[in-house]
Amino acid sequence: MCGIAGRILREPGPIGGDLVQLMQAQRHRGADSTGFALYGRPREEGYVLRLFHPDRYRLDATLEALVGAVRDQGGDLTGDPTWDDTGQAHVFIRAEIAEPATEPATWVDAVESIDGLQMVSMGRSLEVVKDVGDAATVGAKHHLEEFVGTHGLGHARLATESEVSPVASHPFWARPFPDVTIVHNGQLTNHHLWRRRLELAGYRFDTDNDSEVIAVWLSDRMASGMTLEEALDTSIRDFDGVFTYLCSTAEAIGLAKDRLAIKPIVAIEHEGEVCMATEEQALRTLYREEGEIVNYDGPGIARVWWAPTFVEVA
Amino acid sequence: MSREVVEIVAGERPLREVNAEIRTAVAEGKHVELREPLSRHNLCVALEGGGSVAIDGSAGYYCGGLNNGGIIEVRRNAGWGVGEAMAAGRIIVDGYAGMAAGASMRGGTLHIKGDAGPRCGVAFKGGDVVVEGSVGFLSGFMAHAGRIVVLGDTADAIGDSLWGGEVWVAGTIGSLGTDTEVVEPEDEELASLETLLGDLGIADRPQDWKKIVSAQGLWHFHARNARAWLMI
Repeated sequence: MCGIAGRILREPGPIGGDLVQLMQAQRHRGADSTGFALYGRPREEGYVLRLFHPDRYRLDATLEALVGAVRDQGGDLTGDPTWDDTGQAHVFIRAEIAEPATEPATWVDAVESIDGLQMVSMGRSLEVVKDVGDAATVGAKHHLEEFVGTHGLGHARLATESEVSPVASHPFWARPFPDVTIVHNGQLTNHHLWRRRLELAGYRFDTDNDSEVIAVWLSDRMASGMTLEEALDTSIRDFDGVFTYLCSTAEAIGLAKDRLAIKPIVAIEHEGEVCMATEEQALRTLYREEGEIVNYDGPGIARVWWAPTFVEVA
Repeated sequence: MSREVVEIVAGERPLREVNAEIRTAVAEGKHVELREPLSRHNLCVALEGGGSVAIDGSAGYYCGGLNNGGIIEVRRNAGWGVGEAMAAGRIIVDGYAGMAAGASMRGGTLHIKGDAGPRCGVAFKGGDVVVEGSVGFLSGFMAHAGRIVVLGDTADAIGDSLWGGEVWVAGTIGSLGTDTEVVEPEDEELASLETLLGDLGIADRPQDWKKIVSAQGLWHFHARNARAWLMI
C-alpha cells in the first residue's frame, strides 16, 4: 500500500508546500520514505541535477570528481553545488550544469561512474527530492516550502519487498531522459520481462523496483514517437499486474490505471488547478468544501492534464 | 414525531471521538447533522438504534461499514466500500458511490442515487442495494444472496461467478460475467421489487427488468468447465 499525489497550479506557485501537505495527509499509507518530483523554472539550456551519496565523509572527493566528470563531457557547473547539512550519514547534492557536449545517456553514465554517486533526477526543470521519513520530515529537511514551480508529484512508501533507504522510494526518474518521472501505487508482475528488453536496448536501472521500469518504458515509447497519452494507453495492455501511476513530464501529468481497477485515485479540477491523490481526504486538505472530486475507478483509464508554461508572476 | 437534532463537527478531530458521539446519539434515537466530514474514512461505522445521521458533504472509505440499524444519508459522494458488511439499517448516497459499494452486505438497504463504481455488491450476502444510475464492471462479483438492483446501465462482466442472489438491471447490460444467465422474473418478485423501490421513494420506476442469476455451472468443478474457471 502506497500513497501518491499530483498537483498542477494555474501559475508558478508553492508547489513544494502543496505536495508536502497532500502527502502528509496520506502518511498512514506509508511513512518509511517520502518523495517529491518538483518542476521549477525551466532552463533554456543546461540541467539541474539531484544526486545521492551514501557517505558524507567522502563529500569533498565526490564533488571534485563530479566537476571533473562534467568537464570531461564538455560541460561545467554553473554555480556552487549545494547539499543538505543535516550531518546524517547520507548526503543529497544539488548541482546546476551547462549543456554538456555529449548525449544525456553518455554524460549521465560518466557522472554515475563516480564511486557511490547516484543521480536521482536530471532535467531542465525537474528536481526529485526523496528521503526517509514522512512528508513533513522530508519537506522540512529539504526546505520544500520554499520551492516555486508549476507542477509535481508526491509519493509515500510502505516498504514491502525491498529495503528502506533514502533512494529506494519514488518518484523514479526515467534515466537518462530529462524531466520524466513517475509515482506508482501497485505491483507489476511482468516488469522483469520489460526490464530485460529495455536493458538489451541499452537502458540502465538503479534499482530492482518495478516502478523504475514504468518510467523508462514510457520514455522509450515517447522517444519513438508516441504522445504521453498514447504511451499511457499502451501501458495498460503491455503491463500485467495491479497499478495506478502518475507520470510527469516538463509539460503534463498523465494517469494510467490497470484493467483490474484495484488501486484508487481521485482528482479535482478547480479554477484552473488540478490535484490528484490516492485518497479524497488528502484533496480535502487543500479544498475543504469547494469543487467536485471525481473518482477514477476504472478499469483501464489513461488521461493527461497539461501544466502551464512557466511565466514569472509580477 | 420530530426527533431531537444534534450537530457534530468532524473536521480534523480524532475519528474515534467523532464516531463515539455519533454512536451514542443514534442509539438514543436522535438525528445527527455531521458537519465538515472532509471525505474522512470510516465515518458512522457500526451504528445501532433508531436514530439517523446526515453527512453534510462527501465521505471517504467504508462509510457506514458494519451498520446495524442506523439510517445514514451521505449528501454528496461516498468513497470505496460504503456500507461494507452492513447487517441492518439504511444508507442513502445522494451522489456517486466508489468501488465495492455494499461489499459483503448481509442485510439492510443501500440506496445510491447516482452511479456506483466497479464491483458494486461484491460478495453480497443479503439485503438490497439499489442504484438509480449505472454500475461499474464486475458488479455483483461472487455474490451469494440478496438483491442488487440497477435502474441504469451496467459495464462489463456483471454478476461474474455469481453463486446465489440476483442482479436486476433495467437498462443495458454491458456484458454478462462468467456462469450467469438472464431469467424471466416471477410476478411476485416484480411486486416485491416494486414495493422496495416505492418504499425508497423512487417515483419513476422501470417496468422492463432483466433478472440475472447464477447458471450454477461453477457450483461443482467439472473438468469440461476448466476454461470458465480460468476466466475467474
